Amino acid sequence: MRIVRSVRHKVCADGSFMKEFLLDEPVPASFYSFLAHFGRVEALPQLGEGFFRFEKPDWFSIKGFAGDTTVEVRFKKEVMDLTMDFAYFLFSSFQDEKTDLSGLKQREEAVAGRVRRRLHGE
Amino acid sequence: MAEDRSFIYLNNAATSWPKPPEVLAAVSESLSLPVFGSGRTTASQGEDCVTKARDALSGLLGVKTPGHVVFTQNATDSLNVLIQGFLKRHAGTCHVLTTALDHNSVLRPLHEYERQGRIRLTVLPFEDGRVSPGAVAEAITPMTRLMVMTHASNVLGTVQDIQAIGEVLHDHGACFVVDGAQAAGHVPINLESLPVDAYAFTGHKALLGIAGTGGFAIKDPEAIAPVRFGGTGTDSFSLLHPTGMPERFEAGTHNYPGLAGLAAGVSFILSLGIKRIMEKAGRQTAYLIRELEKEPNITIYHGNPDLPIIAFNIRDLPNDDVGFILARRYKVIGRTGLHCAPLVHQAIDGGAGCVRLSHSWFTTDEECRIAAGAVREIAQNADRSVSSA
Repeated sequence: MRIVRSVRHKVCADGSFMKEFLLDEPVPASFYSFLAHFGRVEALPQLGEGFFRFEKPDWFSIKGFAGDTTVEVRFKKEVMDLTMDFAYFLFSSFQDEKTDLSGLKQREEAVAGRVRRRLHGE
Repeated sequence: MAEDRSFIYLNNAATSWPKPPEVLAAVSESLSLPVFGSGRTTASQGEDCVTKARDALSGLLGVKTPGHVVFTQNATDSLNVLIQGFLKRHAGTCHVLTTALDHNSVLRPLHEYERQGRIRLTVLPFEDGRVSPGAVAEAITPMTRLMVMTHASNVLGTVQDIQAIGEVLHDHGACFVVDGAQAAGHVPINLESLPVDAYAFTGHKALLGIAGTGGFAIKDPEAIAPVRFGGTGTDSFSLLHPTGMPERFEAGTHNYPGLAGLAAGVSFILSLGIKRIMEKAGRQTAYLIRELEKEPNITIYHGNPDLPIIAFNIRDLPNDDVGFILARRYKVIGRTGLHCAPLVHQAIDGGAGCVRLSHSWFTTDEECRIAAGAVREIAQNADRSVSSA
């Protein structure tokens, strides 16, 4: 999947920064199963083709419906410069069952270290 | 351009939509002509939309002297002018009252002056969506000079008893400033008889005008010092700002297209009659609440609001998600979060925020039926499945 453009931006009430991404194809439900490798996914499968919310605490959240071409991504502002590329990468590297998880996990680990240092000084 | 009715707009407590065709026509006409403003042009043709808007607002709000209606950018701007002007006029530290129902347009200016040590602030709690005149009486001290409070809660839709509260304040010689951002256009207001010293309004909500318009009506202009100075198109030899009304509080060129639209919006309301607007709003509100009450996992925060505002949450589902699902799946536009009224949410939902649906004169019964059905369907399917690494 490719992010075609970011269609809307706003600062949310909780201080996070929201971007709405327009994708080049509808999001399959399997994308959200894939996201569960990197955080927590909650689903309301009975609503339409399924509503999903992915949470990666301290990084970002993604919410949307399976079958839609737009998703809403909310970044924690303090580390947005560190995590945004990883969010983009999750979309671009997703290829259903063929996705290379090990490469993504390595990348996640590298970013996680920088996020921890920034937020918690570890 | 044709009106887009592919979605159901229930966010009128934030900004009303659609606008009456008369408002769009007035704005468009105003933009199509050079500005006609007394003292600012040699043109004599064209309508003086500022005076027209002042006359319309004084009619709607029951203000005897149209010159005592002042225009600003919005209600927040009005409240800043009034609070700042009051404190400028009254030297020394004073005690000010407000309420937990209030919007940040009131809370933030007052908390800023409290932070500066300029005022002592008491925030009164509410019960069943209302602040009691008795609580106001109990909070008054010999130092109390001012109370600023909302006429109607933007979260709970409850109208406050500003008659009784104003009487209590006036008995103690305190000034009463009311934020009418939500109430103006929804309920009858007669400032001539109400014990209210200044009443702030905004154009873009129930007055059906466009964003960037608002103002306040004031009884005794001397009670508030002016805080803005500049060109008025009058008394131009004087290097000091005019003290007469409404120039005392207005400086610079007006938002002519906005005020043309506001005059048309108010005229539209007056032609319908507030009673008719209230009856329709009340009937639709009651229907929506009845429908939502059928779902045991929906919490409605006020079951009998005076304004067309329904605040609710669905158990175990973040309000933000409910708003997202309503918009994306059902094309129902509401608002979620804190609605700029953080103290209300501390009291009703632990500060988590809620979903707010707010309809208008233009909302159809069918739209209410669809919206209620959408909320109920979400509530019926709110059981989540969770997965994680």
